[in-house]
Amino acid sequence: MFHKAKTSTRWVQPRTLSLRELRRKSIITAVWSTALLAPMQLNGAILTGDSRTTEEASDSVLLVLAAASLADVLPRIGDEWERLGGTPLVFSFDATSRLAVQASQSGAGDIFFSADPQWIRWLEEQGTVSLGSAVHFAANELVIAVSRDVSVPVEPDKLLGFERIALAGENVPAGKYARTALERAGVWSEIEEDVVRGGSVRGALEWVVRGEVPAGIVYRTDAEAAPSVSIAFVFEGPEYPQAQYWGVPLGSTAYEESAADFVNFVLGDAGQSLLREAGFSPPQSFVTDGEAEGHAAGDAGDDLVASISSAVRLSLIVALLATLVGLVPAVGLGWVLARRDFRGKTVLSTIVTAPLVIPPVVTGFLLLSVLGASTPLGGLIASLGFPVPFTILGASIAALVVGLPLYVISVRGAFEAVDPMYEELSWTLGSSPWKTFFRVSLPLALPGIAAGAVLAFARSLGEFGATVVLAGNVEGSTRTIALAVYTLLESPTGREAVWVLVGASVMISLIALLGFEALSRRQKRRLEDRHAR
Amino acid sequence: MPADTNFHLGLDLEIPFTGGGLRVELNTASTRIAVVGPSGSGKSTILRILAGVERRAHGTVLVKEHCWQDSSNGTWVPSWDRRVGWVPQETLLFPHLTVRENLSYGGALPDWVSETAALLQIEDLLDRRSRRLSGGERQRVALGRALLSKPRILLLDEPFSALDRPLRGELSELVSDWALDRSVPIVLVSHDEEDAKWLAEERWHVGGGSLRKE
Repeated sequence: MFHKAKTSTRWVQPRTLSLRELRRKSIITAVWSTALLAPMQLNGAILTGDSRTTEEASDSVLLVLAAASLADVLPRIGDEWERLGGTPLVFSFDATSRLAVQASQSGAGDIFFSADPQWIRWLEEQGTVSLGSAVHFAANELVIAVSRDVSVPVEPDKLLGFERIALAGENVPAGKYARTALERAGVWSEIEEDVVRGGSVRGALEWVVRGEVPAGIVYRTDAEAAPSVSIAFVFEGPEYPQAQYWGVPLGSTAYEESAADFVNFVLGDAGQSLLREAGFSPPQSFVTDGEAEGHAAGDAGDDLVASISSAVRLSLIVALLATLVGLVPAVGLGWVLARRDFRGKTVLSTIVTAPLVIPPVVTGFLLLSVLGASTPLGGLIASLGFPVPFTILGASIAALVVGLPLYVISVRGAFEAVDPMYEELSWTLGSSPWKTFFRVSLPLALPGIAAGAVLAFARSLGEFGATVVLAGNVEGSTRTIALAVYTLLESPTGREAVWVLVGASVMISLIALLGFEALSRRQKRRLEDRHAR
Repeated sequence: MPADTNFHLGLDLEIPFTGGGLRVELNTASTRIAVVGPSGSGKSTILRILAGVERRAHGTVLVKEHCWQDSSNGTWVPSWDRRVGWVPQETLLFPHLTVRENLSYGGALPDWVSETAALLQIEDLLDRRSRRLSGGERQRVALGRALLSKPRILLLDEPFSALDRPLRGELSELVSDWALDRSVPIVLVSHDEEDAKWLAEERWHVGGGSLRKE
């Protein structure tokens, strides 16, 4: 069945990594954290409640589930802890909201470090932790981070001038805190339209780093560590919310004592000095309870039906667009690969097929590097009035590129199944290759081409990783079914909606696959001619 | 009407094959040529070269005053400009088209299609899909399609193999007359002595890596 490796490989920092390596990784991980984790999370942790057993079987190691914004500092504290003889630790970093849901449903993990006390309370309601053992150990301020080329200083009301503002996901603590901060600053209602949501706060920051979005609201610690961004404004003072970091041993732990010890170690001198060094504030003396609460539940209520139908509609539009636009390249490439021999054929075939095996997140990252608004090509396209990132166009391009390999492979197979002698015969009967293509090759391969289109459609429908990196998670323009499910999974509410979307997704996919099977059979029948003799 | 007295077929080819290769030197003024020999000897390849669908051979192909291939200067006339009536052994009919559409594929007018169909006794099949035909019916449709493409030369590869004896003789006579009427030369590939007898006046034998007149 399943295996600990899966739960912990994702973000678990192997103990051998040096600090420098950890820092170097931070940029890459920022993007990966937005999306890579998502599908794995679905496959892995949430669905596998029994990973715990393997965990216990290994020599005592503490699995620490921790908020993404602690990804740099916590391993350093861990080093110190281990140096002093503490139980070895492995970390899994992600958005607090996702980790909380994981911890509650998988029964895995020993310690939970949350960026929001609300989630600790929620876990207590689930019976996963005991509030009495929770410790508030640090705080983090929110800042407005801007690309280096944006002139500072910027104040909250100056955000109105920006075309887009990046925030973490709406159910992620950083995303909720940011919304609260903007509400307190009195600008939320005006800029709400311009907000684009990254999966985690690091994902949002990455867009600012890359210049795709001029400004983002992120944690001070992350902004300070990131290259090529400046901090334009700090949300300081009692009127603004701060992220409150809490640590708590999970009820599922078999190492209750060591877990509590490590939580206290973080609160102790060694931990606090490393936290201070990384830019965290000391724990707040008073706890501003429930600052960031409420939005998730409110959003999840009335608008639920609207968001579900928006996601389904958007998925269908994006998949259809990708399938239609992909038709010409798929048929062209499929035919060339089936019928022509030329230098570089292997290379072409490899490039076209690559997105099938390259992790979609990487494909998305590469696409962003080529088509992002700050790149020459992306800039050109944007100046024609078709910006790619955060638009339905971007979602469709991601779906197209990821779906194209299956498309081309199917089409190529369809053309290869057509005996070349049909084409040769057509030539001798006076039809040029071009005419022959339309009179013979295309009609004979048609069911196979349609099968490829259906397959590409189904793949586009399920596209997640490349979409979230290239096009973000914007309700109404890029939040397709897969992204909507992912967003809902971050929230303790909205489970029914998840099932509706899961049902829709599975159903559409199965129908598409049935169509594929039927069309493939038809392709076979169409060419049965030879065997009938 | 007498045979085309100006006809001349000249082949001077080196055909690469795995395990040897085939040397083809053929010069003839005959308009009825049969190429015979064991299977796998390269008979069909000679027809494919004449049809312009096989490009691996090196050398020259001359048909009447036309040079279709000359490897020394890169001359190559593509299939669609050669106007050959090629009936390959596999008798492939376009499976997505009806018999009528197959027959008129080369651009023949409807009247002419009906006429030829009657001649070949396939007029009842015109609206059928080709995949619903018997082997013999298929051969006749393939033959008809070639005849209807206004060929300069007929290239027939075992054209009657699926037909029974009486029909076989009848049909080869019919094709023979048809070609004679229109001065269309025939190159026939067959391992069947009867076919060769009916249609050919000159027999060439493939074997041992070369082509010899018998």
